Amino acid sequence: MLALLLVAAAAVAGCGSSGASDSTLHSTWIDPHHSGQLERGPGEPFVERTELARRSRPVRQLALFAQFTDAHVRDEESPARVPFLDRYGGAFSSTFRPQEALSPQVLTATVRAIDALRPQAVVETGDLIDNDQFNELTQALAILHGGEVDPNSGAPGYSGVQSRSSPDPLYYRPDVDAPRHLGLLAAAERHFRSPGLKAPWYPVVGNHDLLVQGEVAPTAALNAVATGSRRVVQLDPSVRVSAADERFAAAEVAHLLANGLPGRTAYTPPDPRRRLLQPPELLARLRAASAAGGSGPLLRYSFDIGPDLRAIVLDTVRRDQGSGGIISPVQVAWLRSQLASAGRRWVVVFSHQALTTFPEAQPALALLDHDPHVIATIAGNSHRNRIEARRTPAGGYWVITTSSLADYPQQARAFRLVQTADGRVALETWMIDHDGGDMAGVARELSYLDVQGGRPNGFAGARSDRNAILFR
Amino acid sequence: MTLPGGLTASVRRLRVHPGRTLIAALGIAAAAAMLGAAVTVAYGLHTGFDRSARRADLPDVIARFDDQPQQRVDARLRTLPNLRARSYRREFTGVPLDANGHASQNGVLQAVGGGRRGYAIVAGRDLRRPDEAVGERGVAREWNISVGQRIGIGNARLRVVGVAVSPDNVAFPLAKGPRVYVSQSALSPRIGTRVNIALIWLNDPSLLDQTLTQARAASFGVGGLRFLTRAGVRTTIDQAAGIVIALLVAFSVVALCSAGVMLMASAQAEVERRLQGIGVMRAIGFSPRAVVGQHVLDAGVLALPAGAAGIAAGALVASRPSANLLESINELPPGAALLGPLALALLLVVLLVAGSAALPAWRAARRPVVSVLRRGELAPVSRASRFPAGFLGMGMRLTAARRGRAFATVAVLTISAAVVLAMLGMATLLNGLRNDPGLVGKRYQLTVNAPASEVAAIRRVPGVQAAAPRYVLFAADSFLLGESLKVVAYPGDHTPFEDPPLASGRRLRSNGEAEVGTGIADALGVRPGSELAIELPSGREVRFRVTGLVRAFDNDGRVVYTRPARLLAADPSLTGEIAVKLAPGADQRAVARRLFAGGHPAQRITGGTTRNASFLSVLAALLRAVALVDGLVCLYILVQALALTARERRSTIAVLRASGAGRREVLLVLAGAALVVVLAAAPAAVLLELAVLGPAVSHLAASYVSLPLHARAGQVAIVVGALLVLAVAAAALAGRRLQREPVVAGLRSD
Amino acid sequence: MRLVTATGLVKSYGSGRAARRVLDGADLEVHAGELVAIVGPSGCGKSTLLHLLGGLDLPDEGSVELGGRRLERETARGLTELRRDYVGFVFQFFHLIPELTGEENVLLPARLAADRRAATRRGRKLIADLGLSEAARRRPGELSGGEQQRLSIARALVNDPRVLLADEPTGNLDEESGHHVLGLLRSLASGERAVVLVTHDAEAARIADRVLRVQRGRLEE
Repeated sequence: MLALLLVAAAAVAGCGSSGASDSTLHSTWIDPHHSGQLERGPGEPFVERTELARRSRPVRQLALFAQFTDAHVRDEESPARVPFLDRYGGAFSSTFRPQEALSPQVLTATVRAIDALRPQAVVETGDLIDNDQFNELTQALAILHGGEVDPNSGAPGYSGVQSRSSPDPLYYRPDVDAPRHLGLLAAAERHFRSPGLKAPWYPVVGNHDLLVQGEVAPTAALNAVATGSRRVVQLDPSVRVSAADERFAAAEVAHLLANGLPGRTAYTPPDPRRRLLQPPELLARLRAASAAGGSGPLLRYSFDIGPDLRAIVLDTVRRDQGSGGIISPVQVAWLRSQLASAGRRWVVVFSHQALTTFPEAQPALALLDHDPHVIATIAGNSHRNRIEARRTPAGGYWVITTSSLADYPQQARAFRLVQTADGRVALETWMIDHDGGDMAGVARELSYLDVQGGRPNGFAGARSDRNAILFR
Repeated sequence: MTLPGGLTASVRRLRVHPGRTLIAALGIAAAAAMLGAAVTVAYGLHTGFDRSARRADLPDVIARFDDQPQQRVDARLRTLPNLRARSYRREFTGVPLDANGHASQNGVLQAVGGGRRGYAIVAGRDLRRPDEAVGERGVAREWNISVGQRIGIGNARLRVVGVAVSPDNVAFPLAKGPRVYVSQSALSPRIGTRVNIALIWLNDPSLLDQTLTQARAASFGVGGLRFLTRAGVRTTIDQAAGIVIALLVAFSVVALCSAGVMLMASAQAEVERRLQGIGVMRAIGFSPRAVVGQHVLDAGVLALPAGAAGIAAGALVASRPSANLLESINELPPGAALLGPLALALLLVVLLVAGSAALPAWRAARRPVVSVLRRGELAPVSRASRFPAGFLGMGMRLTAARRGRAFATVAVLTISAAVVLAMLGMATLLNGLRNDPGLVGKRYQLTVNAPASEVAAIRRVPGVQAAAPRYVLFAADSFLLGESLKVVAYPGDHTPFEDPPLASGRRLRSNGEAEVGTGIADALGVRPGSELAIELPSGREVRFRVTGLVRAFDNDGRVVYTRPARLLAADPSLTGEIAVKLAPGADQRAVARRLFAGGHPAQRITGGTTRNASFLSVLAALLRAVALVDGLVCLYILVQALALTARERRSTIAVLRASGAGRREVLLVLAGAALVVVLAAAPAAVLLELAVLGPAVSHLAASYVSLPLHARAGQVAIVVGALLVLAVAAAALAGRRLQREPVVAGLRSD
Repeated sequence: MRLVTATGLVKSYGSGRAARRVLDGADLEVHAGELVAIVGPSGCGKSTLLHLLGGLDLPDEGSVELGGRRLERETARGLTELRRDYVGFVFQFFHLIPELTGEENVLLPARLAADRRAATRRGRKLIADLGLSEAARRRPGELSGGEQQRLSIARALVNDPRVLLADEPTGNLDEESGHHVLGLLRSLASGERAVVLVTHDAEAARIADRVLRVQRGRLEE
């Protein structure tokens, strides 16, 4: 009997490592000398989190799934971008990233790492693309589906702020600046192949999927800019920029993009595929490419991962402007019905913005707080690894956010729901490093160096925010 | 104290001929002294910057910028990768300072914040309270300030609690302003939170460029930003003294080689003296190995004390001027760390002497015993060799007969004389660097601080041949931010004003082109045709096409010549000065007076190195000391060679004397023997200096420029003349000894 | 005519208890035309006596008179003059200078002579007379001992000295060469010239006009 138990335990423990060479349980990237150079280091074992329940031995796997989020696949050559705002910092710091030209390659490297895990389902929790552009979505879906990917737009090759001839030293130019990566941009624009996700995948919409720069609803004027041939290279000095607060910044971006191009512009090869997507088209393409079903103006749906786990996907993205979340009363009612229909199954709730981060989510949270089957809410958007225990009268659940693929640490997350020896459950979660292939490793290195990126902002979180056993 | 048997025997053997042993020991000591001096100077100077940087905890990067709130800067700085530590300073320049009756209006006051200091306290203690000050060593020395005294800073008087050294600049008075540190809390709270210097320490300094790229990305809105890296600091110090230091180090290397050759020659001579003994030992059955062993032991027993004494003496002589030199460039003397290299030098001396004894002893010991007993064969002198008739010629033949030794003597003498010549060349160069701007490629003699619009008016001043606006700015390579450089721009052809020789490519012809000094070109790997991007202090980047590489002396060759159009476009606030070239024969002072009268105060241009007289006199003392030692070495070589010849040819001399040769004739023979060596060595030395030593020293000192290090005709004449005098002096010395002994002594020795 | 007069010569080597008195009151007169042979066992002081006679060394006590000049009263310059003009030396080991040819060796003292031309002429004649024309063109290393010794005799004679001092001139020669050299020396001891010979050679003693033996530091007939 004892021997049998041991074998079972070994099997369960072995699952996490099965083929997942990029599992951070075994090995992950560290900067041992704090010098800005990442090296392969030892893995991070699970941290046992017992805020909601005492620890107990796992005996049976109930479900295995993965999450990746905020891939921000971006057409970095697009004129509908505002990289010149990046230097003002604050809310603008995501308008330019040194590694931004490599977003398709990073997503592909993540797909490979997730495939190695062999999960039952994969959830993409929003901001799959960066700028609501048709060609961005085409690239992202090609990567997730598998096959040939064309990361280029406009004329062949790279043409943008990072090119060798760019006279603005505040942008990192990989051909000339340190760390020097000769030919990186040219290589980033070449066709490549993606293996595609092997497991069914489920999309969640994010503000960048639906809004230009994640802030502004697509308009005809903006569409003209995106598909046009002029690109702003230097902001008009008369334009006063303040990065003081996010809402103001959003208004500023909207204003800048909507009222023509305020500053010195340069020619950029136009590309009609840069056209901006209206929400119905975006949702339709996402539904068609993924396992998400349903219809209607919101991408909300539910699905099961195995017989014991129900996943509920919420749509929290505003359609007008701004990156703050919203959940309408109609959707709250829908959520109530979904929770009711879940029966005795455990429930995880996915959304782009974490429900704890915006006041409009209070009614939805109240529902979850009273449901004893909810074990976790899982989100993205913050680009940060975080796991918080939410204590509720119904037993509590875990509020989980995951780092983006756009910023360091560029990690995805694996989840395994296990039954424990005392008849309850635990959610094991651990980070997955992308495999670094196809220049994605360079992207990770650059994202680590980025002074506005995940390193100084602590996006990797604490150890207990990454690899943990969450007892419930 | 009892010695092992072999050593006792060695000591006994050496005691048999105390005079000869003493001479040999003196020779070893002289060479060792040279080595000791060379090691002391070279080690002290070569490692000076790194050592002092380590002691002072010099930051990897010093960022200077326009006054900012410290919090604002820190918010950006702390996001840098590879950041180990940071601290901030507020610098004020032009602060009136006074102490002990000395005063300066150019004082530099640095208010230091918490965290790492970036300077080393060498006396007293560090700052603790607002009413305290720490003085830089240069000003403390120059103004005789000791800990506990008060120093006037503006209208405040603070107590000096310590003396600090930081090799981030040269020391006062080499630096223009005396520097004093106070704590940030000494400033009024109103300005105390603003800073203009950030000291940055990195975890891995080799990744400096990568960190600086990020720092630049984070620098938006911080005006006047300049990064000064350790390499850049070194260049700053080099500007003041580096070429001289490099020359000294290069010279020491040469002296070291010369000492080595000399030691070898002297050890070989010693064996030759004992050739007979070798023959006897072999005849009574000693193995070659035993013979060699004995000679090695004897040589070692002699070399160890003699070498130690010599090295100690050399180190002692050189240490004071060397330390003075280091102090003037804000560096610290090596202290006990020097003992290691000196011990190595001693080991080298002993090994060299023992090895040099072993080789000829081995050769001799393996020859047929009879031939050794016959005192070795003399090289047959070819009949074609023509020496002057008479006793002089005879002396020459005596030397020439010993071909191997004659060659060695000539070689050592050649090297020594060439070193002396190189030193004289260096002295001339130093002098030139001080006085002659032309030497460093500057063809203008005055500068006027006036806008470009004044050029026409200045051109009309009598005695002015040409005038042009000259823009200078310090910047960094935009792609490798750790590489600092100096940009010099003239609107038109720059060659009438500055014409560093072209090493490759062509001169610039348009606004978008640049000529690059080989110093920075090597660091960046640019060639004619490459693109050069310069990061201006304003944060803008300007690019040029490199048309040629030039051997420029300025700023250690880290200089770029171009036209100002693009610089002005990127930074319209850039202002220049006006370079004034005098008409041939025009008097610099007179023209300066006329310019002044016209409302254009002019500054005179000097050479590339410091104007500080005491600094140069320290250097001159160092050079003279080494030159003196080298001169003595030459004398020693000659005396040694002659003594050997005289000893070996004692019977010949005795026969001459028996035949009625007097003092004069004997002297002539000896003089001939010495002269033949000198006559061969003198031209060889000149050739060596011109073709090898000069260029080699120049390359070692500054690979980015070719320094005119060749000795002038007058210097050659002096050195050759001195050698001749030395030859006669050596002959007189050797002759005196011979003359004192009865004739029969020479005959009996056979 | 007395060419050499030595009286009461004392010469010691070493000092203190190791001191050894080699000559202890030796007296000697040499007359023109005379060949005097000095014999005695090794180390008895024969060579020392010869060196004192030629002014190559100075006695501890006693005096040597050459051509009426007392050596002990002469300056270094005076001694040099005497050696140049009055005395000629022949050595057991020839002491030819190896870098010089035979002729150059012979003519070496001629460079020192007051009348160099005459001395050179005399030297050339001596070379011819002694049958050394062939040897004179060569260097000492290429010559036999006999030839070398005859060259050294010629060298000793170049300045036409009144006294020829020969230290074991045959000591390094084979019998025939020795015979030849002795004949030569015998012929030189004539007229105004005298020859003093230090030797072991029985034949040398036979041809001498007088044979003196050094015994206990003195000379005995």
